[in-house]
Amino acid sequence: MNMTAISLRSALQCLPDNAQEPIVDLHFSTQLLEALGFQPEEIHPQYATGSKMVVDKAARKTIGNDIFLHTKSNPYLLVELKGRDINLSEGSAQYHKTVNQLKGYLLDSNCKSAQWGIITNSCHIQLFRKHGKVVYPATKCLSLDLDNIDEIVADIRRKIETPTKALTIAVYNNKGGVGKATTAVNLAAILTFLGKKVLAVDFDPNQQDLTSSLKLAVSKGNVYKALSDRDIELLNTVCPYSFPLKSGNAELRFDVLPADEEMASLTDDSLLKQFKRNRLYQKLNTARQKYDYILIDSPPNWRHISQLAVYAADVVLIPTKHNNLFSLENAATVIKRFIPEIQAQKANGSPIPLPIFFNGEKITQPQLLVAQQEINNIIKAAKQEKIDLLPYFYPRHTSAKDLHIHQVPSYANIASAAFSRVPAVYRDRSAHEYYKDLAKEYFLQ
Amino acid sequence: MSHFNDIGNLMHLYLDEIDPGEGTDAPAFLIKATAHLLNQKGGQNSVPIIVKEVGEDKYELIGNSFIYAVAEEAGLERVWCIVTDGKDDTIEVTQVLAGEKIPKINLSKASRDEIAAALEYLIEQPGSILKTVKLAIATNRIDEAPRQYWKTFEPIVNLKCGITKGKKLDALKQVFYLTPQSMPDTITDPDILKTMSITDLKAIAKKRGITGISKMKKDALVEALSNSKPN
Repeated sequence: MNMTAISLRSALQCLPDNAQEPIVDLHFSTQLLEALGFQPEEIHPQYATGSKMVVDKAARKTIGNDIFLHTKSNPYLLVELKGRDINLSEGSAQYHKTVNQLKGYLLDSNCKSAQWGIITNSCHIQLFRKHGKVVYPATKCLSLDLDNIDEIVADIRRKIETPTKALTIAVYNNKGGVGKATTAVNLAAILTFLGKKVLAVDFDPNQQDLTSSLKLAVSKGNVYKALSDRDIELLNTVCPYSFPLKSGNAELRFDVLPADEEMASLTDDSLLKQFKRNRLYQKLNTARQKYDYILIDSPPNWRHISQLAVYAADVVLIPTKHNNLFSLENAATVIKRFIPEIQAQKANGSPIPLPIFFNGEKITQPQLLVAQQEINNIIKAAKQEKIDLLPYFYPRHTSAKDLHIHQVPSYANIASAAFSRVPAVYRDRSAHEYYKDLAKEYFLQ
Repeated sequence: MSHFNDIGNLMHLYLDEIDPGEGTDAPAFLIKATAHLLNQKGGQNSVPIIVKEVGEDKYELIGNSFIYAVAEEAGLERVWCIVTDGKDDTIEVTQVLAGEKIPKINLSKASRDEIAAALEYLIEQPGSILKTVKLAIATNRIDEAPRQYWKTFEPIVNLKCGITKGKKLDALKQVFYLTPQSMPDTITDPDILKTMSITDLKAIAKKRGITGISKMKKDALVEALSNSKPN
């Protein structure tokens, strides 16, 4: 271990200031991958990620006789290298280009098994995690020097050797009434149907919609206590929700952390004294190894409870309504201000916003044009502040002006499911298909 | 016959040496107005016509038929052309690149995203016959179906996603084609077995040594096969 640490440092020391990609590849990448725990036969250079694209390095540990260099199957880590002439500091144009390049590789057809991606030019390095279809940062984009490189690479190695199982999703928009609880509960239900292990967290103590829509009892202080007391395990306060299937004794089952009524009565001031912003994140530590997905329904506004929910998340899913300008403007505020505020504090690059989707009534063509006009104005205004909102509103927009925004139409059956105390996706075939579509569009590869 | 050194060249050819083939569907207004503009602005077509050489000073149009029609309307004597090798692959790619033909994707192997994009394209065409089809539902059901074995598009009708036999099903052929795998004899998945014909099912059942086949109906055959061990 010590040996490799020294050689990585000396590799960095020996690199010329203007080293271009082939030099970084030859004199740095081998030592980097070795320091990350990969042997030469576990690394494949110029790995074909699909039918067209090639990534600089792919790596996987040997499993039995399955040596990655020989079988080229199931890559675990992809590395995209750049020369020092490419500026990879966060926010630069080349940084964005490189991140998008890495995402393309991670989501390509030969890389379904890949869980990690690294971009580096030996001056900067950033680690990304892939969970299903979602690629999100696992570190900030870090600047490397002789003093910190060993520590940074050791930290990256720790992360890739012990990946968290769960993707934590906060469903949030500071505008109310956009269907946050409906989205959270139906996504939890459909992911469960698709064989995933799911925890749904009702973190909206005032509305308690998620808890009551499943006919579960509201917590009378237990959840609050588990959150405040460092010695109580939060998962002990979880309630199972189960839905019997018609055939045989089978049932669908996911866990719910119910809303706590005691938390509803507390002011922000007293909550601030009890919880730091990272409290829910800390308390979900065991849950992150137990579940495939953790979905958090958060309250509207940007109060302390919402901040805890967003802090706990890897990604933030933002429902909007096409016919509600405020829900679109507020989505922009969440992306421009609230999420960066949490990112700055959390220091691992997460959470990141996912592209918005339209949740609500069926959209006619003229209505869509009005919504697009509003969005164009919002994007234009953000550009003045040097923030690019385009990928969060129009994720498919390239040189082709594709203005696609994902839609989940809501209709009587989805709304009335709240009264029948069963998630709409278990009662209604159309709702089932729409939320499956949402899950596959955003989360499942 | 073919002067291979001309291939890839930009050439100023006589319009009457080019056989326009099928011609263009472009509206008369666009042709006339563009011809007028072209004449006003110097009469040089800066976007070339794509042709193949078929004989000495004889060419056939393979792409950009709109520009040919405009040049004809404008009364140009000569037009700028790119000469290609005229192979079938070249013709296909040229017509797709020129936007004159819709590209097709292989439904036997396509990813979910590719299927969704193709269906969305069809549904959003003006006056589309598929406008009542729900994109999310059709995408889910087609993606999940055992389409790698489909020999025709017919099984889509049974998916109950609003695509019925006739014009709607035919519309899919604009964007999809199939390269089916042969159905392995070892299949026990009832969902896949259900999509097969009774004759095919009986043939497999016979191979697996199931008795009483002749009296069985389809459901019984499917059940017997899904519980049987492949040889």
